[in-house]
Parts: sequence; C-alpha cells; structure tokens
Amino acid sequence: MISIREKTGVRLAAPVINLAAAGVANAVNIFTLPILAGVLVGTKSAIIKKVSMYNNVAGTTQVLIGTGVAGTFVALLPALDSFNGLNDNYGDDELPEAEAYADITAYPVALGAGTSIDIVIEILIRG
Amino acid sequence: MPDLHIFKAQVGMADPVALQDQNVAIHYVHNIHYRRVDFLEAIPEFQCADLGAVPAVNQSGRTNLANLEMADNEFGIWRWYPLDDLQYQLFHPSGISKYQLRNLQVPVDPAILINDPNLVSTEIGIWEDNRPAMIAVNGHAFIVLAARIRAIGYRFHTIDPEPISPQEKQVVAMIRSERAQDAKVSKMSDGDVLLLALKDNRLPLTHIWCSGRAIGD
Repeated sequence: MISIREKTGVRLAAPVINLAAAGVANAVNIFTLPILAGVLVGTKSAIIKKVSMYNNVAGTTQVLIGTGVAGTFVALLPALDSFNGLNDNYGDDELPEAEAYADITAYPVALGAGTSIDIVIEILIRG
Repeated sequence: MPDLHIFKAQVGMADPVALQDQNVAIHYVHNIHYRRVDFLEAIPEFQCADLGAVPAVNQSGRTNLANLEMADNEFGIWRWYPLDDLQYQLFHPSGISKYQLRNLQVPVDPAILINDPNLVSTEIGIWEDNRPAMIAVNGHAFIVLAARIRAIGYRFHTIDPEPISPQEKQVVAMIRSERAQDAKVSKMSDGDVLLLALKDNRLPLTHIWCSGRAIGD
C-alpha cells in the first residue's frame, strides 16, 4: 500500500557525495533542501527512501545520516553498516520514513588513510 | 439549471461552481452578495500555509490563512489537505468554527487523503479578503517541525449582475409588468430588477457559502 506521505511528494535522487573524512565533526551535506524565498510557502522536507553506498574504506564501518554537523548533529536513522569493498543498499522496506526539515548530512564512523565512501540517497520531497 | 454546486463529489478535481455569465449568491455570515461571474480560472495545487513547528502535546496559535485571500470582487473555492501529521481545526472567519457539530469541532488530519481522496468534505469558499484561520494540534510526544497546508481550487471574478441573456431580459420584463403599479420597481434599473428576480428564485443561481456559521446562529 502506498503511504499517505508517498502520495504527497516527489521522489528524486541526491547527487553522489564522497565521504572522505570520518567523525561527526566532518559530517557533510548529502542533500540540501530547496530554498527559494518569495516563492516557497513554509518549509520543504525530505524523507529518506533509499540509501546506496560504495565502500572503498578497506574495512567495514558504519555511516550515520542525520541533520547538522558536530554538536548539532541529530541522527535520522541508526548507524548503517558499510561493508568492506561492497555496495550497501538500503531500500524502502528497511528504512523508516524519517523526515528531515533541514539539510541532510552524513559521516562515516571510521576511515582508513586515503579511503572514502560514496553515498547517494533517494528522497521524497514534500512541501 | 446547470449541475454546478459546491460539495460536488466526483473522481478527480472539483468542477467550477459557476461558469462565465452565471449568477451566484455569495453568503458571508449573514450577508448575501448577488454577483455575476465574468472570469474564472483553475488554481493548481499549492502550499498555502505553514503554521510552523508545534511542540509535543500542544497546539499552534490561531493563524490566518492570508494566502487564500481573494482580491476585491472575487471569490475562491478551495479544497485542502494537511501535509504533516497533526490535527487541523479550521475557523472561517477566524471567530467561527468550521466543521462544527453540536459537541465537537471536527478536525482534519492527513488521513483525509485516503478517506476522501477528492477532498470534497474539505471544500470552502472565500469571499474577498474574508479568509479563514487555522489551529494545528500536535498529539504526538515529540515536536512536529512544520504544519503545512496545501490547497487546490478555482478563482472567480465577479461583477454586478445585469440582464444579458434572453431569459433574464424576459424575467425582468415580466416583473416590471407584474409590478407596474409599484413606483419603487418602475424606478429601478434593470440590474436591480434582476436582483429581485434572483432573490425570488426566478432564475438559476448557485449559492456559495463563504463562511461557517455559529451553532444556534
């Protein structure tokens, strides 16, 4: 069954973002909410529907997705495993419909020297 | 009489409640404005309001929906739905509850999209700048960061009615003939006699309710 929320939004994929630094202080934007003052009424929000990652870390780690950076970081989802040298795909069925009302950020818990994780999220934009 | 009326249930978007050159009676609280539609256009779905963040187990302030206001001599017909999981109470105008039962003001929540997909039960009319207001109630144990409303409908521009169709001219002539001895009527303009005809239900007229009404009022 299509959720009520699914009926009221537009799905799109965020760009591929490379997470090249570990730790919450290095969380980077993986999706920026649209803002166009004078045209948009109120806030837009984004629900994470899918997460696709490629691990180039030479080790298994976890990726945190939320909003904010460093002390303002608030997780939207629990830590997602990212396995050594593999693609990690989390789909609609696994993910709760966590809704972000601010830019979505992410960071890996640990990285080997010179390694990184590519991440793309598919989101449902509402508002 | 064309099959044009508010609260029309059908699959898909609402029909316009009046077409060009048709007459309407706009009810606002206890006032009735008899007008003729001379222009209409559909307004696509848009986000008309965001009442802002609503704290846990709390409610927003009563917020005017200024973006649903119409220009002078215009009325709008809107269907609407909430985007965020709150319960919304509508007031129209700000001091009068909408969807009011004897013991309960019925709130609207996002489930309306499942239970009334065409949003028929949410339909409201707005005359000029007499816009509604809304409260969002958060029953959750956590803050809800936005209380957004989306609306879809029609915009109608109106003018004072004048007899233009053969039927209207015929009825105006008939009233003048029937009340030939009435000096007041004989001094009236054709437009004013047409108003008499509309008030007497002698011509097709669509009633548009552009406000709520207090219980017992």
